[in-house]
Amino acid sequence: MRDTPLTQAHIGAKARMVDFHGWNMPVQYGGILEEAERVRTKVGLFDLCHMGRLEITGPDREALVNRVFSGRTAKLDHGRAKYGFLLNEDGYPIDDVLIYRDVDLMHIVINATGRDTDPAWVREQNEKSGFDAQVKDVSDDQAMIALQGPASEMTLQPLCGADLSALRYYGFLEAPVSGVDCLIARTGYTGEDGFELFFPKEHALAIWNDLLGSGRSLGIGPIGLGARDTLRLEAGMPLYGQEINLEIHPLEADLSFGLGLKRAGTIGIPALAKIKEEGYPRRAVSLNAPSGRVARPGCKVLKDGREVGFVTSGTRSPTLGTNIARALVEAEVSELGGTLDVEIRGKPHPFEVVPSPFYSRKR
Amino acid sequence: MADRPSDVQYTKTHEWVKVEGDEATVGITDFAVEHLGDLVFVDLPEVGQEIEAGGSAAEVESVKAVGEVMSPVAGEVTAVNEDLADDQGPLAAEPYGAGWLYKVKLSGTAEGMLDLAAYEQHLTTEEAAGE
Repeated sequence: MRDTPLTQAHIGAKARMVDFHGWNMPVQYGGILEEAERVRTKVGLFDLCHMGRLEITGPDREALVNRVFSGRTAKLDHGRAKYGFLLNEDGYPIDDVLIYRDVDLMHIVINATGRDTDPAWVREQNEKSGFDAQVKDVSDDQAMIALQGPASEMTLQPLCGADLSALRYYGFLEAPVSGVDCLIARTGYTGEDGFELFFPKEHALAIWNDLLGSGRSLGIGPIGLGARDTLRLEAGMPLYGQEINLEIHPLEADLSFGLGLKRAGTIGIPALAKIKEEGYPRRAVSLNAPSGRVARPGCKVLKDGREVGFVTSGTRSPTLGTNIARALVEAEVSELGGTLDVEIRGKPHPFEVVPSPFYSRKR
Repeated sequence: MADRPSDVQYTKTHEWVKVEGDEATVGITDFAVEHLGDLVFVDLPEVGQEIEAGGSAAEVESVKAVGEVMSPVAGEVTAVNEDLADDQGPLAAEPYGAGWLYKVKLSGTAEGMLDLAAYEQHLTTEEAAGE
């Protein structure tokens, strides 16, 4: 297992640690419900050093990004981020990523699971296309920390040399935090306001501790992967490997906002445009049950006893107090308000098909 | 941490059993409760059901995990703790008291059980192994 620059801090804080795709990461410090509530009502701090980042430079950097990234970037302003996918030729995601468009470079933030595959894929396309672009994998040198929750700005502002109130959702800027030059993005994976910070990893512990100190009077606490997974699911955000993967494409996962389907020059887009034209048999749905058992990934979904799909993610929702899940089912049974059964440990449990997302914050 | 009683017997898989005459009460330990985290559901056996020693008798579910309760004893289920169906609070707060899971009419003796000292010794080795 690999340690992040903060692993020892988590162990010191008595977090319960797990092997998360080869990383020694905290699953929870106190309780998942308590941590999730802290992010929804106050502010929480996340170690994301297991995630990766690529820097694309050179004259053809935009052409390369346009080739490998599913979303439209041509109209993306400098200092803005966009969600999308690295697609294979068949239109299936190799990963879901955020692109950050800077003046002279493009950043691609990738998942921990993509740290081996994504850089190799992007470099391969760069060579095949003969672009004059450089792909630098800075994952091993960089730290990534997220601050999420309504009190995020109040926590970060005293440490930061820029006016954060001017930074919009999905915008980013470069400014010092605790005297360290950081890339500060107003992005996140919880459905709350917040920031993601990128900076050289030797400063990880100092910035982590400064943020905990700055947010102390605001009720800050560190948040583990358990709460992170429930928060993102409540907010309707996909997890690569579950909602999307090499066998579930973004259209059926209801993630077409990450696609620019008119662009022929992007790998995988022509295949998805064809799939859209011809139609596809499965739909992602949101499921809700007031109580009872928690639906887990892989559970069968039944309609009148017939298997019609499977659960991709499920949890007890700390915010709603109900059991929520995402599932991929036959389109015919996906209408809102319908009832589907989730088979949990051999028994059917009724869930209602409800609108997505389960939770959205008031703005 | 809950005070662990000395008048019950423990298993290495973190169940406890209290034998009184030919009836036994079964629950899970504070270590198991702590390890599972926030509880959301308890699936109990049915009254009248025959349970085997070492077989799965109940499930305790938390936000992130499902814990299987392996029955330390064999017998016919005579009562289950219905209160836990709607509220798992008693199990979290008093795993050796109000959080009991089920009772059986014993059809054999409990074997391979640990007393309090042996169970606590077992916990130190589990904790040393990184849980």
